[in-house]
Amino acid sequence: MVALSYSNLKLELASGHLSAFYPLLQQGVRVGCRVGCRLGELLSDQWGISPEYVAQRVTTIFLNSRAIDDVHTALVGPDAVIALSGAMPGLVGATMRRGGYYAAMRGAMTHHEETGTGGCTEAVVRVKLFNLLLGELGPGFLERGILLTGTELFDFFRDQGPEFRRGCRSARLNGLAIDPETLGEDADLARIESIRLTVECRDFI
Amino acid sequence: MDKIARIDLGAEGGPKISFEEVGEYTGLGGRALTSLFVAKEVNPLAHPLGAENKLVFAPGMLSGTTGSMTGRLSVGCKSPLTGTIKESNAGGQAAQVLARIGYAAIVLEGKPAGDDLYKIIVNKDGITIEKDNSLKLMDNYPLVAKLRGQYGDKVAYITIGSAGERQLLAASIACTDPELRPTRHCGRGGVGAVMGSKRVKAIILDDAGMKMRAPKDPEKFRDANRKFVEGLRKHPVTGEGLPAYGTNVLTNVLNEAGGYPTRNFKGGVFEGGAKLSGEAQAELEIKRGGSATHGCHRGCVIQCSGIFNDKDGNYVTKQPEYETVWSHGGHCGIDNLDTVAKLDYMDDNIGVDTIEMGVTIGVAMDAGLAEFGDSEGAIRLMEEVGKGTPLGRVLGCGAEITGKVFGVEKVPVVKGQALPAYDPRPIQGIGVTYATTTMGADHTAGYAIATNILKVGGDVDPLKTEGQVELSRNLQIATAAIDSTGMCLFIAFAIMDQPETFQALLDMLGSFYGIEMTGDDVVALGKKVLSAERDFNTRAGFTKHHDRLPRFFYTDPIAPHNQVFSVPDEEIDQLFNW
Repeated sequence: MVALSYSNLKLELASGHLSAFYPLLQQGVRVGCRVGCRLGELLSDQWGISPEYVAQRVTTIFLNSRAIDDVHTALVGPDAVIALSGAMPGLVGATMRRGGYYAAMRGAMTHHEETGTGGCTEAVVRVKLFNLLLGELGPGFLERGILLTGTELFDFFRDQGPEFRRGCRSARLNGLAIDPETLGEDADLARIESIRLTVECRDFI
Repeated sequence: MDKIARIDLGAEGGPKISFEEVGEYTGLGGRALTSLFVAKEVNPLAHPLGAENKLVFAPGMLSGTTGSMTGRLSVGCKSPLTGTIKESNAGGQAAQVLARIGYAAIVLEGKPAGDDLYKIIVNKDGITIEKDNSLKLMDNYPLVAKLRGQYGDKVAYITIGSAGERQLLAASIACTDPELRPTRHCGRGGVGAVMGSKRVKAIILDDAGMKMRAPKDPEKFRDANRKFVEGLRKHPVTGEGLPAYGTNVLTNVLNEAGGYPTRNFKGGVFEGGAKLSGEAQAELEIKRGGSATHGCHRGCVIQCSGIFNDKDGNYVTKQPEYETVWSHGGHCGIDNLDTVAKLDYMDDNIGVDTIEMGVTIGVAMDAGLAEFGDSEGAIRLMEEVGKGTPLGRVLGCGAEITGKVFGVEKVPVVKGQALPAYDPRPIQGIGVTYATTTMGADHTAGYAIATNILKVGGDVDPLKTEGQVELSRNLQIATAAIDSTGMCLFIAFAIMDQPETFQALLDMLGSFYGIEMTGDDVVALGKKVLSAERDFNTRAGFTKHHDRLPRFFYTDPIAPHNQVFSVPDEEIDQLFNW
């Protein structure tokens, strides 16, 4: 059992600024979830991504750097790294596709079926989103919350330009309102071990 | 496209132009025409830079029509880099314009005795050839700018930079894009050096007064083209992924898969991969006022290219492709897109293949000429190539020669040509293609071309290792056929997944030429082309022992999957058995 304790930062963001988070989402963000289940259950039951969407849009998936063919047999463990991608060009893109005709060309880097080892437990996994899925799945992950170290978060805010800062309409750290303009300057933020960031994106008039 | 023009650069009294009917090449285009022509007319034992070699330019079967995606120009010859037969193709405007003027091929043959440079002007009235020594040692961007002053903006230019003139083995042939930038290159195999050996600096193609090529059945052709375009637009790769991110969308995925060759193939994951990704590149391009969506020729609906500007919004280069970002990026331990863009511009300007040069610089870094990750060092090495210094000439002759000169043991080449951006240890199937293709290591020789629909060779058991060879064989056959149509290879995904789009392609070809085309015809064409190429190589002295990857792929496992290349030689040797 992994103890999940962290500070909470809630950010209210004007629409149109969400792409600032795409570099973070590409490199991977930690997400709390129940592990010990099949990947398909994690995607659909816990993260609310419909099986139809997974089947049609999430055509390439890696679990711990191994290509997945069947989300219903791949078992997710603690500290798993899950990368989700849309359809890819190139022979290698076709090769990496789930259950694709050219899957044989990737041989031993394919993830193979595993048998279950027991019940579900709370843990953290790392999720990476690539290409078209950044815009399609990114908002959902940010709304549900991603885990970052204080340093990662501080660096993120520090690197944003004035336009993004103006787009941050409000921020609450552990329930207390703070000035979003100061997020890239607050050295105390960098000292927090783990922060759960949730982002609500809205149209402001 | 009813005639072939031959230009004998070595004729007594100066270059001589002759014309002939298409004859036995009727209905052929692209790679089919160049390879069958070279296989028949070039002595396989000829020196590639000598008078006996011939350089053949051929538009595709549907180039110059209103058909979409028909703008590939094939260039064929005996390669000075590999010693094999070579077909290298590029986008840009040249194929469309050449086809509309009416040529199925232009062939450069012979070799002039002196040091004079020539330019060739092709228009509706015929072909003229002129001496122009004012163009000597000009690189592609200033060269095209100078030619535009004389020939204007309503033409297409085919040119070589200083690398081609110096006959460096990595030299490319540039074709201008719709904005008349020399950004589209027949890059692989040193075809630019062959053009340089003929002392031809530029070919100017002017289709003023010419019309689009007319199909035999215009209504059926129009209908097939409409369905073909619809198929491309609705497919997630050709309709969404490629237009949004270009081919560099592959960086993140290859890196995640552990198949992204890093620091001269020492690792399969690059820690700076996300900084080089197509997603990062597209965002940067848009932010700087460039574009992440741009077509390399008119009539392209996929628009996989883009415009890369500097931080001040000034044009640097076209959007570097995945293989370029990899070769100049992760392969050299460099994670800076501005460095990659600058090197891409230098490649295009000097006129060298981006894959060969990036791999060469990585090999040079292994030799200690610069540190991995040293952006300035990489640029400095490229400047040597542009200046034509002794070091630059070594580097400009590619990875194999650079490795030999500097005593590097692990040089990623097959038949003298640098491996592209996919490590063959975790992705064994592509290793089979690298080893066996008639062209030297080439990722486009066995592309994802609808072998499932074509059923080339029947179904394959993916659980058996023999399947790797079977798949590679089928892909190479299908790719040879598509290369012969002159269609962009990126149509592959739509025709692979959507049988109706594949049928639309067959209908386009059939209605244009007034014939019924089937999948079997496509397979037969692919086999014919590959057989001719393989036969040429055999006569040039190549054997099954040349169909091997460099030894280190068999001995050095690569992280994170810790695999070596393990497809047995005996199975690889079965690839050309049909």
